[in-house]
Amino acid sequence: MLEGAEFYFNVDHGYLEGLVRGCKASLLTQQDYINLVQCETLEDVKIHLQTTDYGNFLANQTNPLTVSKIDTEMRKKLCREFEYFRNHSLEPLSTFFTYMTCSYMIDNVILLMNGALQKKSVKEILVKCHPLGRFTEMEAVNIAETPSDLFNAVLVETPLAPFFQDCMSENTLDELNIELLRNKLYKSYLEAFYKFCKNHGDVTAEIMCPILEFEADRRAFIITLNSFGTELSKDDRETLYPTCGKLYPEGLRLLAQAEDFDQMRRVADHYGVYKPLFEAVGDGSGGKTLEDVFYEREVQMNVLAFNRQFHYGVFYAYTKLKEQEMRNIVWIAECISQRHRTKINSYIPIL
Amino acid sequence: MGSLFRSETMCLAQLFLQSGTAYECLSALGEKGLVQFRDLNQNVSSFQRKFVGEVKRCEELERILAYLVQEINRADIPLPEGETSPPAPPLKQVLEMQEQLQKLEVELREVTKNKEKLRKNLLELIEYTHMLRVTKTFVKRNVEFEPTYEEFPPLENDSLLDYSCMQRLGAKLGFVSGLINQGKVEAFEKMLWRVCKGYTIVTYAELDEPLEDPETGEVIKWYVFLISFWGEQIGHKVKKICDCYHCHVYPYPNTAEERKEIQEGLNTRIQDLYTVLHKTEDYLRQVLCKAAESVYSHVIQVKKMKAIYHMLNMCSFDVTNKCLIAEVWCPEADLHELRRALEEGSRESGATIPSFMNTIPTKETPPTLIRTNKFTEGFQNIVDAYGVGSYREVNPALFTIITFPFLFAVMFGDFGHGFVMFLFALLLVLNENHPRLNQSQEIMRMFFNGRYILLLMGLFSVYTGLIYNDCFSKSVNLFGSGWSVSAMYSSSHTPAEQKKMGLWNDSVVRHNRVLQLDPSIPGVFQGPYPLGIDPIWNLATNRLTFLNSFKMKMSVILGIIHMTFGVILGIFNHLHFRKKFNIYLVSVPELLFMLCIFGYLIFMIVYKWLVYSAETSRVAPSILIEFINMFLFPASETNGLYSGQGHVQRLLLAVTALSVPVLFLGKPLFLLWLHNGRSCFGVSRSGYTLVRKDSEEEVSLLGSQDIEEGNNQIEDGYREMMCEEFNFGEILMTQVIHSIEYCLGCISNTASYLRLWALSLAHAQLSDVLWTMLVRVGLRVDTTYGVLLLLPVIALFAVLTIFILLIMEGLSAFLHAIRLHWVEFQNKFYVGAGTKFVPFSFRLLSSKFSDDVA
Repeated sequence: MLEGAEFYFNVDHGYLEGLVRGCKASLLTQQDYINLVQCETLEDVKIHLQTTDYGNFLANQTNPLTVSKIDTEMRKKLCREFEYFRNHSLEPLSTFFTYMTCSYMIDNVILLMNGALQKKSVKEILVKCHPLGRFTEMEAVNIAETPSDLFNAVLVETPLAPFFQDCMSENTLDELNIELLRNKLYKSYLEAFYKFCKNHGDVTAEIMCPILEFEADRRAFIITLNSFGTELSKDDRETLYPTCGKLYPEGLRLLAQAEDFDQMRRVADHYGVYKPLFEAVGDGSGGKTLEDVFYEREVQMNVLAFNRQFHYGVFYAYTKLKEQEMRNIVWIAECISQRHRTKINSYIPIL
Repeated sequence: MGSLFRSETMCLAQLFLQSGTAYECLSALGEKGLVQFRDLNQNVSSFQRKFVGEVKRCEELERILAYLVQEINRADIPLPEGETSPPAPPLKQVLEMQEQLQKLEVELREVTKNKEKLRKNLLELIEYTHMLRVTKTFVKRNVEFEPTYEEFPPLENDSLLDYSCMQRLGAKLGFVSGLINQGKVEAFEKMLWRVCKGYTIVTYAELDEPLEDPETGEVIKWYVFLISFWGEQIGHKVKKICDCYHCHVYPYPNTAEERKEIQEGLNTRIQDLYTVLHKTEDYLRQVLCKAAESVYSHVIQVKKMKAIYHMLNMCSFDVTNKCLIAEVWCPEADLHELRRALEEGSRESGATIPSFMNTIPTKETPPTLIRTNKFTEGFQNIVDAYGVGSYREVNPALFTIITFPFLFAVMFGDFGHGFVMFLFALLLVLNENHPRLNQSQEIMRMFFNGRYILLLMGLFSVYTGLIYNDCFSKSVNLFGSGWSVSAMYSSSHTPAEQKKMGLWNDSVVRHNRVLQLDPSIPGVFQGPYPLGIDPIWNLATNRLTFLNSFKMKMSVILGIIHMTFGVILGIFNHLHFRKKFNIYLVSVPELLFMLCIFGYLIFMIVYKWLVYSAETSRVAPSILIEFINMFLFPASETNGLYSGQGHVQRLLLAVTALSVPVLFLGKPLFLLWLHNGRSCFGVSRSGYTLVRKDSEEEVSLLGSQDIEEGNNQIEDGYREMMCEEFNFGEILMTQVIHSIEYCLGCISNTASYLRLWALSLAHAQLSDVLWTMLVRVGLRVDTTYGVLLLLPVIALFAVLTIFILLIMEGLSAFLHAIRLHWVEFQNKFYVGAGTKFVPFSFRLLSSKFSDDVA
């Protein structure tokens, strides 16, 4: 890109940026959450959401209201907004959007393959797929028996194809392999996305690279955490780590050697960014989980992305914030419907 | 004048609604639109309020109605809109209505579902027949051209061989056939190719007629395809791929007889389905037609019901839970109406104990209500756009009715243009009941809402146009000019005298490009033109110099009068709010400051006009110099306008200088003195001098009420107000800022009124340019072609006049007139910190379907 791209930014993307900032302003406020938490039934939640930007999105739902209905409607709303952005975008923003959808596509593919493994019907699983990651070839995923099959037959024409370079193998797709496939795909995806943002330069790189670095490191931590006590070998584990994060390379090597949570924590202690996060994790019951801490950090980064102008990061940040908001609402709604009010306050506030 | 001069007196009333009759009472109130409810449950979130269940029920009904309207619209049945709006349904009917609507919805949903199912069935059958028809040709082709099947790349020769082998064997050869969406064909084929590695043959052909999707109503083009494959595994894969691309797959008949049989069967079934479908559709239409009759009134009723429950949610319950307490703002003039509405509501519900109300005293500022009619509404809107007036303060809208069009017209002075504007506005006013105007587009509606403003603006422009003697930049000679050119040729003088007096002779006329009339020569100037500017100025080359001097002085005079009037209106405010000290300490010094400087300027202007004539004009002093000298005290005494001028000016200056410190310090010091000497004034007195908006009656009312009821809550509030902190520094600061603003503002605002001159000059010059550039060109061509040329020229002239001079210039003059009112006039007295009175009225609910559907 030319120097001083902000001069030209608004020509192509100004409208969308304005739009996304407007959408961001419609996120639920702290007061909204306080009101939501007080709700007694899902109907109350619905009434309260009507006063927010969600408006009458549940008006046409017949009773009784369930959490999953709320969830799907919220997803639909996000999807509508996203599709609008995407349809009105120009290059290179549209490529950026494609990259954003890729992560959902990966999740959907894996979900479908898992479903096929458990002999569930495609239709049943399709409902659970994230609407942002929908693509036509998706439903044919269960034809494939090996990853290379999957690539050659189904995914070769989708945006996911470039991420397959690392995971072509003739192994049959059992549960472990699917999980490996997911992580490998995700790794190549993150690295490619990171490279894209880096090459784009400008404010976009300044905003997106830290976010993606964090995302990569978070995956590394989570993979490590989940691999404790499984048959995954340490070498295999190391191949799954995305290499675009701050942990690369020493941290990843250390992580690969880690055997329990404390060792992981020691690795994190070397990094100024992650030390406070691990310190915030509570022991046993009562404290926050590592996942929540990461989510909070993510929200923080995404909110900060809105402090700068003329970059694509706002779109990413908005989608992520909206997702977090949906998770919060679903959490609150679940707590309400299951009458499990003690934990209702552990949603992640969006500041 | 009463109602427009000040906003109406409001009182806070407490309504005690028996819980059985509350609904009916509110319904009666809503029809009348008398009162504004106060939210008594502000800290209760929306879903914890009392009538949330009822609101939910209304929403449910709205959902059903929206569904009905959607279905009715889809079936193209006209929705009759009732003339009168039905009242909110009585509670007994609500249940009935709900049941009825729910039954209707269930029925409708079932019928539509059936219909959709039937249509889907029908579509499937039709697709099947199409498929059979088209694939028949495929098979023929396959058989005929099989050996040299060209679409296959030669690479796959071996597989072709395999295929023919297999066919010969007749084993496990399978067919899958069906329909696929047009857009997906290519991807479908590719995927088949990749997955089955070429062990399939796909043939497809486009379907001639597009089919309608029963769910979305979209018309989609389809392709019929036939896949031949062998091997069961590949068959599975093919089927999965077909599923993935949402193909409609139909069984493929293997033999010709089978095909024929199926086709016949299909035809009869299609016939049957058609008849059933028709019957279903007829029935559906009947149901919808019946529903359409009552849908409008239902929609209105539900809306009213919802509004009532929203209002009831704002009320609080009394201790016994038997009656609802609502607090409302009501104009005092409407109190008896309010009582009657309550009685009506109670009677209607047949309650034994009637609902009643009493007024309660309050310290809070009531909302502002100014009743307008269609004429005053536009002017009130101009004022409200600046800020809704504080309670009971002088409302500038009353004066704006005249001053606004007048100041506009000063800038827009041209009676041709004014007349066109007047005609346009008159057209709008005469047709104001026309329904199309009420529902027109935004821009047109803007003109429509301001039609009376436009009307007056046009009329006043005609007047100022006459004064400026300007009609499409030309002057009109109505009464005959007061100047005589022939007098300059007067032969009664000797040549020497002629030279001395500057009279004209033949050689002068011949050799000078510009000739000057001298009004001091007898007979040349016979006296002023009866109305406005003499038309002869239109021909003069020094016309602009003359008009500029005139318009400049005129705008200063108008501006100072306008502002002085504003300050005087401030006195009315002080009188009404019983703050007499403000008059002596603020308004009078302000007036003195303004009049001693700028009032004197006006005096000088008028004095010079009256005293100096054509003969003495050469010795007339310049007003500008005189005015500057007033402040500079020059050492050398000039010959002024009149004797003793220096003393008068010094006196005026002294008064001005004295009024400034009074303005700065008077009010704060007085308040400080009042505060310190509080004991001798009595508690209540000093209390209310600090609080601006309570009149004496309210205070006395409050006292008696307190004794009677001992209402703790109100008393506490009252005490709180009384003990309001006396902050001398703050008062001083405010007053100093206000004074600085005023003193500097006097100068800058006077200069600001010069825009009157500038805009009227611009308007005159622009219309002059338009005339010289267009019409004069057309008129100069000789008569034979001239006529042909004149037509387009006049047309262009008309268009440009309307768009540039009327709309563009008019808009700019309008904006400047608004500015002069908002800034220069209203900041002299208008606070504009009130809130508007928004009554609970059903009339404010929209009565259109479009809103419900959206």
